[in-house]
Amino acid sequence: MKIIDKVINWARLKSPWVIHFNAGACNGCDIEVVAALTPTYDIERFGSILRGTPRHADVLLCSGPVTRQLKDRLVRIYEQMPEPKFVIAIGACACSGGAIDGCYSVVSGVDQAVPVSMYIPGCPASPDAIIDGVVKLLKSYEDSLKQADEKNENGK
Amino acid sequence: MILLLLKILVFPGILFLVVLSMIGEYFDRKVYAKMQNRMGPPWFQPVADFIKLLAKELIIPKNADRKIFKALPLVACSSVIIAYLYIPLWRKESIMSFNGDIIFVLYMLTIPTLTYSLAGWYSRSQYALIGSMRVLTQLFSYEVPLFMAVLAPTILASSWSFTEVINFYNAGGSLWLVNFIAFAVAIVTLQGKLEKVPFDIPEAETEIVAGSFTEYTGPLFAYFRLAMNMQTIAGASLVAAVFLPFGYGSFFIFNFIIYIIKVTFIIFLLAVIRTIFARLRTDQMLSFCWKYLAPIALVQILINVIIKAAVLK
Ligand code: SF4
Repeated sequence: MKIIDKVINWARLKSPWVIHFNAGACNGCDIEVVAALTPTYDIERFGSILRGTPRHADVLLCSGPVTRQLKDRLVRIYEQMPEPKFVIAIGACACSGGAIDGCYSVVSGVDQAVPVSMYIPGCPASPDAIIDGVVKLLKSYEDSLKQADEKNENGK
Repeated sequence: MILLLLKILVFPGILFLVVLSMIGEYFDRKVYAKMQNRMGPPWFQPVADFIKLLAKELIIPKNADRKIFKALPLVACSSVIIAYLYIPLWRKESIMSFNGDIIFVLYMLTIPTLTYSLAGWYSRSQYALIGSMRVLTQLFSYEVPLFMAVLAPTILASSWSFTEVINFYNAGGSLWLVNFIAFAVAIVTLQGKLEKVPFDIPEAETEIVAGSFTEYTGPLFAYFRLAMNMQTIAGASLVAAVFLPFGYGSFFIFNFIIYIIKVTFIIFLLAVIRTIFARLRTDQMLSFCWKYLAPIALVQILINVIIKAAVLK
């Protein structure tokens, strides 16, 4: 890896800005996400801040089962985010549809609409679990970068 | 010639300003976090944010005017840098100066605000449009008190040049304490200029997404953030030079430390104001600036005129 790529990857790992989107949740998970953003949990330690617009965000915190009405909007929000971007599904509903799966108005989990990189189960997922999820996502991104790097070097 | 170029590009010019603005942002965020009883960001946070934004994908909305959309962040950065070159830092002279440079610096520091508003206008998005209108409304409310506050000390000194104002107050002992009211007004209006809480109406993220920067991504947004941070430093240096004109001795290191302390103190004040207040509404902001701040600044001008007529002669 060239030194400039290393610097860029370091910066990406150190400043994951998040945006929160409710794709039809019962609001339980949203309250937990909001709680995770309060000073008690202090996600700014990891360089995270909440942005209002998808254009500035790196991580989409998506809660709730995707309803038919919101599916297109979710996809649009996802497409408005600049690369590299990640989606975290928060709560049982977002992972698989949860208690609301199979309802006539629901498409099921978030991964039916957009690619998801991390699932955080729980009904609702606790703030600790959400923060843990974000940190683990960064860790796995780092690992995947390292693996790709090793592959490249072995390939040569 | 080469020395001047080095001064402009490296120290105390562009590079120094960029580094200082990052440190300033870190300090601001740390004070904010400490007052909320939490740890706050690590020391490299502003650098990591900047590099990350530079490396992100750049999306330009289909309806936006491509050329202007791209040029605006650079205009904002360069106008702040030009303003900074004319502000005296730890010496009585700035890198470049002419008679009347206080007015020039004030106008140069207004240009970034105009670019924020144009940025919203040219992104052709509803939220950005509302944000840009709010930027302009806010500009009309804080700009007049700020100008009056900054020009009050210059009435005593009978000059609109930084060097002469500083010389005057250095010769006048503790005369600079007279300008305390104007100093307070300048700090409050500077808060409005930097669009921080309680005057963050233009980018109120709970109401209008992210204001005029809603459509800005990656590198362009990084430059806007940089311009904002540099504006903080330039504004703080301006206030320090006009209202706290002391500590211009013969030792370079000593002066430098005093300059850093002054700027840190002003950023600290701004951060404290940011933490303890909640956002105002647009109409509250307008009436606060015009009903209270402008008359207070006028009182300061009156005091200075009386002192000038009665005491100094
Ligand atoms: S996981 Fe539970 S709390 Fe979260 S949205 Fe679904 S039902 Fe509500």
